[in-house]
Amino acid sequence: MTTAVRFENYSWRYSRTKEQALKEINLEIEEGLLVGVIGPNGSGKTTLAYSMNGLIPNQYNGIRKGSVKIYDEEVTEMDQAQLCQQVGLVFSDPEAQFTAMTVEDEVVFGMENMGLTYQEIEERLDWVVPLTDIEELMEKPPYEVSGGQKQRVALASVLSMRPPVLMLDEPTSMLDPIGRRRIFDVLGRLKREYQSTIIIVEHSLENLIPLADLMVLVYEGEVLLVDETEPFFQKLDYLMEHHIYPPGVLEFFHHLKKSGDYPEASALPESVGEGEKQLRRLLENKA
Amino acid sequence: MQKMNKTILGYVPEESPLYRIHPFVRLLFLMVVSLFPMFISSPEWNFGIILLVLAILVYSRVNLKTLRVYIPLSISMGVLILLTHTVLGGRHPEFFVAFRIFDFPFYYERIVAAVDVYARILPMIFVMVLFLSTSRERDILVAFRWARIPFVVTYLGAMALRSVGMVIEDFSIVRQAEKARGFDPQGKSIRYKMRQFVMYIIPLFALALRRSDEFANAIVARGYSFTGLKGVDRADYILHQYEFRTRDAVLSGIIFLSLIAVLVARYGFGYLSLDDSLTVQLLESLLKGGAQ
Repeated sequence: MTTAVRFENYSWRYSRTKEQALKEINLEIEEGLLVGVIGPNGSGKTTLAYSMNGLIPNQYNGIRKGSVKIYDEEVTEMDQAQLCQQVGLVFSDPEAQFTAMTVEDEVVFGMENMGLTYQEIEERLDWVVPLTDIEELMEKPPYEVSGGQKQRVALASVLSMRPPVLMLDEPTSMLDPIGRRRIFDVLGRLKREYQSTIIIVEHSLENLIPLADLMVLVYEGEVLLVDETEPFFQKLDYLMEHHIYPPGVLEFFHHLKKSGDYPEASALPESVGEGEKQLRRLLENKA
Repeated sequence: MQKMNKTILGYVPEESPLYRIHPFVRLLFLMVVSLFPMFISSPEWNFGIILLVLAILVYSRVNLKTLRVYIPLSISMGVLILLTHTVLGGRHPEFFVAFRIFDFPFYYERIVAAVDVYARILPMIFVMVLFLSTSRERDILVAFRWARIPFVVTYLGAMALRSVGMVIEDFSIVRQAEKARGFDPQGKSIRYKMRQFVMYIIPLFALALRRSDEFANAIVARGYSFTGLKGVDRADYILHQYEFRTRDAVLSGIIFLSLIAVLVARYGFGYLSLDDSLTVQLLESLLKGGAQ
């Protein structure tokens, strides 16, 4: 498998701060995976995201050590325009990334910057607009649509550039549950239909867990745990020690396991549906 | 339900015939026709421009009720101009005293000058209202880009337009936040309000800095470079959607020709001046009567 993103002994300290935001990070992300990056606020997740798409160090001052490579090419050796075509970044506040007067202008902005022809822009619009379900919004100002729609517009504007790596920095932090679900529906389609490499910094674990192939725990600037989703969430005590609070269904079965009511060897269910099945099985066995 | 386009000053039906005209022609109309009153002294001709603008507004299906908000503005502006020309116009023994109020002389010449100034300013405002009532931000950008104004300039202009709305929104948020914590200058003296205004300005300034930082990140993250990208011919997809047709060229020609006609009439033949104005003749008969 090809490595899409590779951090090697990577450290970053913002100027005028004493602590390093990221410390000696070593991380490899394979192509085509959907990766969840979790950790408490201030742990360095956004710094990690910005380091991938060159905003760090191009837009921020600080001290950088080690390397970040996208498809084996060092980030600092690529120019920003080239890098944006490799790693698309969706910000947590969609409004912060709007640069145009209408949704349509917003979505085509990145494609125009890439130098695509009118025909290519039209083709990509035909693909991304239905995918993100923003057909009705094209003529509207992007800052006047609802929160969920804003985030879908932000996602469409990055997706239209078709970057091989898509990085989303807390894309649902400002959304209601329906808005969150719709964003994850789009990400699910991207994963299934286009095998995109998607990295999501996210707190909403109930939506992330069913989709993620790999999970990364970032805590106080360090990557403490990297594992496939299922074994990752089996280490629930460790995660909770680091202020990661899993969805209720996981925590419930974890308690059952600790009290000896759930087999030690069995995997914890990752969704309510799966939990229901496990619980029925458990009750049948008891009876 | 009729689909509406949100313009800078209101809403206009998407089916408005005005949208068949290229945005550049609309911008040209604003830029050229708003110059007319500078060359036309005769008030009735300037009021004619207002009628023309009203006719275009009707044709464009703009709800004329929305213009009611400009009535108090127009009246107060007229009163202000009249007062500055008459009450604050100074004593001029050489002028004709049309009437006196509390022994204060109101000169005929100053009243005519006030009417002249008012009749010149009003059509300029009407032309601007027409343009802003029927144009979206996008139309303005397209017009400038079609005129080969560099993308970076129009982009900065668009950002400036957008930032106005954002600052207003941020100001409202800051004000509500301050109010929620017991800071409410309502009912307090002007002096107190001005002194405490800094309570709004500092967070607003901090928010503006943060927004500009976020904005810079956003455009960099999507590959924009103010100096243009090396070897990349930037397509302008939005501009590409607007076609400049023969009709637009004809309309542009008419607008230019009308400017030339005004200039020739005014400076070549001496028309459109105050001397042969019907309004001035009417004022003269009203204020001077038979006196010379």
